[in-house]
Amino acid sequence: MASPKTVPKDAQVMMQILKDMGITEYDPRVINQMLEFTYRYVTTIIEDAKIYSTHAKKSNVDADDIRLAIQCRVDQSFTSPPPRDFLLDIARQKNQTPLPLIKPYTGPRLPPDRYCLSAPNYRLKSLQKKVSSSAGRITVPRLSVGAVSSRPSTPTLGIPSVQTVGTKVGTPVSLTGQRFTVQIPSSQAASVKSATPTTPTVQNVLINPSLIGSKNILITTNMVSQNSSSDSTALKRKHEDEDDYDAL
Amino acid sequence: MAAVQDAPMELDAEKETKPEILSDGTSNLSGNTASGTLSSPPLTAGGAPKQEDQQTLIAVLQFLRRNKLTESVEILRREACLEDQEDSQTLDGSGGGKGDGDGGDANSLLSRVSIASAAAPQIISSTSMYDQPDVSVVLSAYSQQGDPSLYQVYYSSLKNFIESVLDCHRAELSQLFYPLFVHMYLELVYNNHENKAKAFFEKFSGDQECYYQDDLRILCGLTKKEHLKGNEALLDFRTSRFVLRISRDSYQLLKRHLQERHNNQIWNIIQEHLYIDIFDGMPRSKSQIDSMSGSFAGETRREVNKAKVFYGLLKEPEIEVPLDDEDDEAENEEGKPKKKKTKKDSMGSKSKKQDPNAPQQNRIPLPELKDSDKLDKIMYMKESTKRIRLGPENLPSICFYSFLNAYQGLTAVDFTDDSSLLAGGFADSTVRVWSATPKKLRKVKSAAELNLIDKESDDVLERIMDEKTASESKNLYGHSGPVYGVSFSPDRNYLLSSSEDGTVRLWSLQTFTCLVGYKGHNYPVWDTHFSPFGYYFVSGGHDRVARLWATDHYQPLRIFAGHLADVTCTRFHPNSNYVVTGSTDRTIRLWDVLNGNCVRFFTGHKGPIHSLAFSPNGKFLASGSTDGRVLLWDIGHGLMIGELKGHTDTIYALKFSRDGEILASGSMDNTVRLWDSMKAFDDMETDDFTAATGHIHLPDNSQELLLGMYHSKSTPVTHLHFTRRNLLLAAGAYNSQ
Repeated sequence: MASPKTVPKDAQVMMQILKDMGITEYDPRVINQMLEFTYRYVTTIIEDAKIYSTHAKKSNVDADDIRLAIQCRVDQSFTSPPPRDFLLDIARQKNQTPLPLIKPYTGPRLPPDRYCLSAPNYRLKSLQKKVSSSAGRITVPRLSVGAVSSRPSTPTLGIPSVQTVGTKVGTPVSLTGQRFTVQIPSSQAASVKSATPTTPTVQNVLINPSLIGSKNILITTNMVSQNSSSDSTALKRKHEDEDDYDAL
Repeated sequence: MAAVQDAPMELDAEKETKPEILSDGTSNLSGNTASGTLSSPPLTAGGAPKQEDQQTLIAVLQFLRRNKLTESVEILRREACLEDQEDSQTLDGSGGGKGDGDGGDANSLLSRVSIASAAAPQIISSTSMYDQPDVSVVLSAYSQQGDPSLYQVYYSSLKNFIESVLDCHRAELSQLFYPLFVHMYLELVYNNHENKAKAFFEKFSGDQECYYQDDLRILCGLTKKEHLKGNEALLDFRTSRFVLRISRDSYQLLKRHLQERHNNQIWNIIQEHLYIDIFDGMPRSKSQIDSMSGSFAGETRREVNKAKVFYGLLKEPEIEVPLDDEDDEAENEEGKPKKKKTKKDSMGSKSKKQDPNAPQQNRIPLPELKDSDKLDKIMYMKESTKRIRLGPENLPSICFYSFLNAYQGLTAVDFTDDSSLLAGGFADSTVRVWSATPKKLRKVKSAAELNLIDKESDDVLERIMDEKTASESKNLYGHSGPVYGVSFSPDRNYLLSSSEDGTVRLWSLQTFTCLVGYKGHNYPVWDTHFSPFGYYFVSGGHDRVARLWATDHYQPLRIFAGHLADVTCTRFHPNSNYVVTGSTDRTIRLWDVLNGNCVRFFTGHKGPIHSLAFSPNGKFLASGSTDGRVLLWDIGHGLMIGELKGHTDTIYALKFSRDGEILASGSMDNTVRLWDSMKAFDDMETDDFTAATGHIHLPDNSQELLLGMYHSKSTPVTHLHFTRRNLLLAAGAYNSQ
């Protein structure tokens, strides 16, 4: 913890509050969070009170305005769980109905479709900005040319990731619309039991057209996470890539 | 029987006489000089606005109606609607007539109301009762307006009295200190005597028992009436009655002292806020009291734990077990019909006849067994033959799964019953499923690809799985807050996760996507648990209730309300007919799934309860909390039968071995301890449980029962699981600090 000399007074107050409430171990960020909350709350209340007092055509903000501001905000921000007698009441009502009988042989027992989340209209685009300083095995990136639509599975863990990248150009007749997929297998990282979610990364890298030509090239690098299975599929891809080199 | 216990019936009696009091006028009442009178008449009646008195009258009407005293209702309504003259007469008369000490709060209520009715000439509208204030709420508004500066005097005099009393009574009467202290303090705060409240607190808070320190800390931050409004737990404390169990002799002593000294302030508080459960017999010793007390609302009344609980297990269905190659009778496989093999292991049905302590098969609707479930059962029985018999000489091996790089974000863990899958819930709102076997996790192919496979082939079940995306672990995204509870379904098709965002999500383990979000708690859901038969699950959260859901209903089927603070731990009984909940109010309640009633109420922990485990035979319950103790309870008799001391920090994981011989406990102090549960339960079964008081003297034998203590390298233990062969699996996040 910072020495009392360098800590501003407000933060000292927060530290004292925590000490009074008997909390001895806490992350240092907690003080900042408490300060931020305090500032935000007090500012909101005082601004609201100012509005109320001007509405009442008073020259100064007084305690009544503050009280009104607090009351109005309390229901918005600080809701507390329902009171006990209310809970007992609804529990009594709910518990009176007998348990419904279970229909036999209905497959997965789920609520009606409109209460389920089984029809999402979106897909998650895995966009983890992993720095490409992948120490370890960096092989020469393999280029594979072709329209995005005809490549259903560049080796990633999520199937649709390629389609979601960038915009479609249309029929890949002209070279200007071509997409190149560059595949850089990442290094073998820590144990499988690592808890950090490692999702495949898709990065869009625009390469200076002058290097390759006047084509508008969009290069997609797939950072494949540590998985032996994807490595094996990556190796498989190599064979198919050779066909593409011929096409070039 | 003591007057206090029969409060409801006496109230009725008082209510009958009430119309006479109102209509007769002064003559009767002037004769009613009570032995103890209030030092000052309730101030609220005289100068109170009409609205409050009206509310009180309405509340009284509601109460009368609820007790079906229709004549009294009519008379009261007639009286209250009359002009002021008649009412002022009754005012003079009833002012002097305070009810005597007996009869609970009924008399004080009556007198106040009769005074109040004077100031309420309005006609009481007979609109629907449902938006009328509840009686208890109104009552709590009526403060006992003793002189605030005298509170300290009253308390000190009581303290002196109790210290002067005989040793055997002192321990029991000392139980009074804490509830009296809190109620007096809250009254001072409620009536805006802030400085007096603070002085009162400072003077007497140090005397209280050590296990109430957390509550006291919260109290000392509460100095204004507005602070009380948001604090639901304390509001409930004010309106619910703190239960104390005192022997008759001690009670007589106390009553005599308080009544002869005319400081009825304390007596009034006792009448109003405390429930004194009187028993005949020897007064309890300090250690006995300490073991049972500690909860937010005192101890349990005797009659609460007397309901019949079906703690037995349901009969296992008879399944034909096909003989496999390893058997000697290999020649029977072909030709002869398969023989029925009934396993004679301890977990199976004892005999063909019904266990009297087991619920009926159809008491609650349960899903029937599918073919896949039958296969699972066969696997289970095969595995159980290879199970290691554990005991004090034969301790289990422990396999610890450490979560690395979790950065203190691991908040929930669960294993499937056959230990093939492991799920972790994290503070960054993700859920991750790992395969604990060499077999990878596969999800079902997309619809387009499924069209292409050959549906007639024999291995269609393998073909529908997508090999390309097979992996060791899968992430599940969907929650918008830390995931505090995870639970696998017994058939390994579903995973439940409960989170701070107030929802419980059902995930499919075939497609690894979210299927349903169950919204009901609007506050963090601290725990969830699937029923051992699937289909039902229970969740408990910050809104102080536990809810029972079925996977195919978007609303809960049962609501278990009754706890005074958050429900932190919820578990199903092995027969799926009961749900146990542990809460921050330091009590454990057992609920009946059929009708939602609370059938058992256990107090004794001194801190919030974070782990619960049923013994495999369904008779016993083990609970662990932040105070580092594991308590053992007998469900059938409703009593505490054991206490295991040893852990120094919160116990988050408790599990019985497959046959119930060993209890494993894991805690934040980085240890796993193994206890001899067989011995702990055997010791108690010889005693006579039907003793009326049910007071146990717990032997301090934690050291003898401890079979082993195993330290991990700075990894707190979050979850424990015994495999089907009695290998102990433990899980926790490595804490590098």
